[in-house]
Amino acid sequence: MNSLPEKIKKYRQLFNDLASKIKDKKDLEELRQAFLGRKKGYLTLLFEELKHLSPEEKKAAGSILNNFKEEVQASLSKLEQKYPMPRAEKTLFDLTLPGRKTYWGAPHPLTLFQRKIEKIFISMGFSVEEGPEIETDYYNFEALNFPPYHPARDSWDTLYINDKLLLRTHTSPVQIRVMEKKKPPIRIIIPGKVFRRETSDPTHLPMFHQVEGLVVDQGITFAHLKGTLEYFIKALFGEKIKLRFRPSFFPFTEPSAEVDIECIACHGKNSQCRVCGGTGWKEILGAGLVDPQVFKNVNIDPEKYSGWAFGLGIDRTAMLAYEIPEIRYFYENDLRFLRQFIRR
Amino acid sequence: MNISYDWLKEYLDLTIPPEELSQYFDQIGLMVESRKEVDGDTVYEIETYANRPDTLGHLGVARELATLLGLPLKTHFWPLNELAQPTSDLIDIQVLDNQLCPRYCGLVVKGLTVGPSPDWLKRRMEAIGLRSINNVVDISNYVCFSLGQPLHTFDLGLLREARIVVRRARKGEKIHTLEGQLIELTPDMLVIADGSQPVALAGIIGGEESGITEKTTDVFIESANFDPVSIRLTAKKLGLATDASYRFERGVDINAAPLGATMAASLLCQFGGKASRGLLDIYPNQKKAKSVPLRLKRITELLGIEIPEEFLARTLTALGLKLTEQRAGVWVTEIPSFRVDLEREADLIEEIARFFGYNQIPSEVTPARSFELPASQEQERLWFLKEILFHSGLDEVINFSFADPEKEKIWQTGYQPIELRNPISSRASTLRTSLLPGLVENAVWNYNRESEGVHIFETGKIYFWEEEGKQQEELHLGLLTSGLRDRKTWNEPARETDYFFLKGAVEELFSYLGYDATVFEPKDFSFFQTGQSAKILIKNEPVGYLGLLKPEIRQAYELEKLTFACELNLAVLFDRQPRTFIFTPVPKYPGTVRDLSFLIEARVCFQEIYRQLKKLNVPYLERFEMYDRFEGDSLPDKLVSLSVRFYFRHEFRTLQAEEIDRAMLDIISQLKSALKIQLR
Repeated sequence: MNSLPEKIKKYRQLFNDLASKIKDKKDLEELRQAFLGRKKGYLTLLFEELKHLSPEEKKAAGSILNNFKEEVQASLSKLEQKYPMPRAEKTLFDLTLPGRKTYWGAPHPLTLFQRKIEKIFISMGFSVEEGPEIETDYYNFEALNFPPYHPARDSWDTLYINDKLLLRTHTSPVQIRVMEKKKPPIRIIIPGKVFRRETSDPTHLPMFHQVEGLVVDQGITFAHLKGTLEYFIKALFGEKIKLRFRPSFFPFTEPSAEVDIECIACHGKNSQCRVCGGTGWKEILGAGLVDPQVFKNVNIDPEKYSGWAFGLGIDRTAMLAYEIPEIRYFYENDLRFLRQFIRR
Repeated sequence: MNISYDWLKEYLDLTIPPEELSQYFDQIGLMVESRKEVDGDTVYEIETYANRPDTLGHLGVARELATLLGLPLKTHFWPLNELAQPTSDLIDIQVLDNQLCPRYCGLVVKGLTVGPSPDWLKRRMEAIGLRSINNVVDISNYVCFSLGQPLHTFDLGLLREARIVVRRARKGEKIHTLEGQLIELTPDMLVIADGSQPVALAGIIGGEESGITEKTTDVFIESANFDPVSIRLTAKKLGLATDASYRFERGVDINAAPLGATMAASLLCQFGGKASRGLLDIYPNQKKAKSVPLRLKRITELLGIEIPEEFLARTLTALGLKLTEQRAGVWVTEIPSFRVDLEREADLIEEIARFFGYNQIPSEVTPARSFELPASQEQERLWFLKEILFHSGLDEVINFSFADPEKEKIWQTGYQPIELRNPISSRASTLRTSLLPGLVENAVWNYNRESEGVHIFETGKIYFWEEEGKQQEELHLGLLTSGLRDRKTWNEPARETDYFFLKGAVEELFSYLGYDATVFEPKDFSFFQTGQSAKILIKNEPVGYLGLLKPEIRQAYELEKLTFACELNLAVLFDRQPRTFIFTPVPKYPGTVRDLSFLIEARVCFQEIYRQLKKLNVPYLERFEMYDRFEGDSLPDKLVSLSVRFYFRHEFRTLQAEEIDRAMLDIISQLKSALKIQLR
């Protein structure tokens, strides 16, 4: 059996031989493994052999061996500067592979849009009220100043259950229900489903969503209505949106108005525009000062209080905002449509 | 309403070019829906309102423009070429119902020649989209679309006697209309009859037998006023809508009747006719002009701006109102009969605002004297509920509230459905009594369009008769899961949905909403597969159900894949007060974990085991969770193996191993006696 120094001499020669032949970092790594490899490295094996020696022998031999190990490590470090090593031991993955995805549900666009509207009004101190979808003729029409048999009812084509009951054609009956219960000041919005006896076409369906607003207090004016609605529309469509107020007619407001916004699709530049029909304007809501007769119907003194109200179709406004061409998309519930709104 | 530019020029000296006129119409609320060129004329399609019958003629629209533009309104004189005979010698008129026919005017024109209309009249007809028929019919329409006063012209020679009786129809009477329809009349309908039979349906349509033909030489012109409600009821009942009924329903100017007859007769004289002497005018109960006071300060109080008195006076006068009194601060106005909509101060203020210009009124912030606490938190809770479901990977849908009664039958929801009296179609003729049928339709729709899995929810109302005549609507939540939850990816396998995905979503929902003590009790429902569904209770109150849809339902909808569904009554849920949130201190001392695996009879359901575990009376036990369960060949028959992890902790110190050993022995002994567990 060779003595330890002899073995070291032999391995030093081998190390130097191999080191002189190194061409790349792969050769260098092989050399490192050959000498310092955790299981079969020459040095590792030499250290193994120390186990069989007596304590005194072990101490002496260990010192010689450690010197040699330091020598090898020093040489390897020098070589590493010539052939730099990657930091990690190995590239295990293609880092460009797709990551794990979390599947989130998508909100319905109408919920999303209603929520946007609610937030704007809640920030102005409004609270949200609701009411029944099955209504009586009194709340849906009479209390709102629609005389029986008046042609004004034609614009609110109604689905009836029986002589007394109907599906509400607008959210306005909730105005009456709230004013019956509560005395001014009132500052509310009323979102909800409404129903009309309409045949389906790209902009009409027998069911859709509305949001209604109502303010009742002393000294409320048409100027307040204008200011609030202008703020609301700008908050919804952006500061630069142009809008106009136009006289209109609703039995429950006097004066009545409709509000148009500039056509978002063509900005009035396309006379063939599919969205605005070339007028450059798109009607988005109806509004007005609460008719004194409506106040009388709920025992609020119209001499003491005044108020404004508005109503807006959520579906049609969402169509404008998201450039959706057909209202029926909202109710087909095609996931390829709905899931887009996760990126709202 | 079609308005012709050239026709307006009969009343106004318009200098504004036709293409610029639209904006003026819009400004006063006569919204221009379209504008087109017709034979050198410009025609505007204008939106009119149910309360403004005066804008259903060119004169009324011209008056609006005259007011806005400050132009004078031209008046016309209608000369007659008269016969020697007075009208009453040529025809006998009797009005038997003054309520339904408050005014009736008429004139006879004899010796005219029916023929094509002159070019100017043809152009007028074409402009408003009517076909020119002959000079007599066209004149009648020309007057109607000028004044808004509908006329009817009878062939005098075709009346059985020279008599007109305005009366209610008798039972069993019939009439052939000018449109060739045979109509059965009822006594609530007003007719124009000759001596024996109805010859016209008053204010709606004329009869065929007395209509104008090429041979007509002598005519009787009717220019009358009829009760709006009666006309509307009759027209609705018969499904008839004519230019005449459209105007009478809205209220025609009671004082337009004499002018209508005179204008028509004067024009017919141009075709060789001669008019009878003296207009017949039956108007027994003369209507007084309405008088409406206007407090000037109210204008500012309601509009938020001061408007000069000079502007007020000019506008109201131009609209035809008379200022009968102008005391300080209060004016009294007399309303012209053509403005049926003006009755109150508020109506006058609207007119002032309209002509002053809505866009000239300032915009101000609505002041708030106080802020009230929101009356209901329901909207907020509903939104939170939805957010929880989005996190569970469920997409939101919204379905119609209508249901197909045939399809609802398959479900047997147990509710008495509410039927619509006038549905849009038989397949949408009731209101839904469950959200699940809609969700199943959505699943089928999406499977037919490339979907491999559908996981959706909807919140909305269901409707039913609680008892005879007492309707109920209830806010529900429906959930459905079917097919693949995840597609296969390079590092994850594909996952099919199952019962426990849906149950998990519901449990999370209850937990986050703050509802504890939810129980799932196995129970059969008509639409779930037997033995594959559960009833959901909160503190003994049922709130919904959950299960696997039965194959018959899937077949009925052609839904192939296994589908699980759940419906919760949110009305009941939201009625319960959720637990109030208060923070729990974060532990200061480390806890200890011990696992226990045991065998138990398979028939003991987990809910029972859980209940017993919850009841454990063991010191320092903080919580526990089941983390493994298996049954199979290696186990004795009818036994399952469960593994439960127990977490122990002391609030003020670290626990000793012996203390936990004792606790575990305690747990084992309690479970042995309560559930007959065997240790593995």
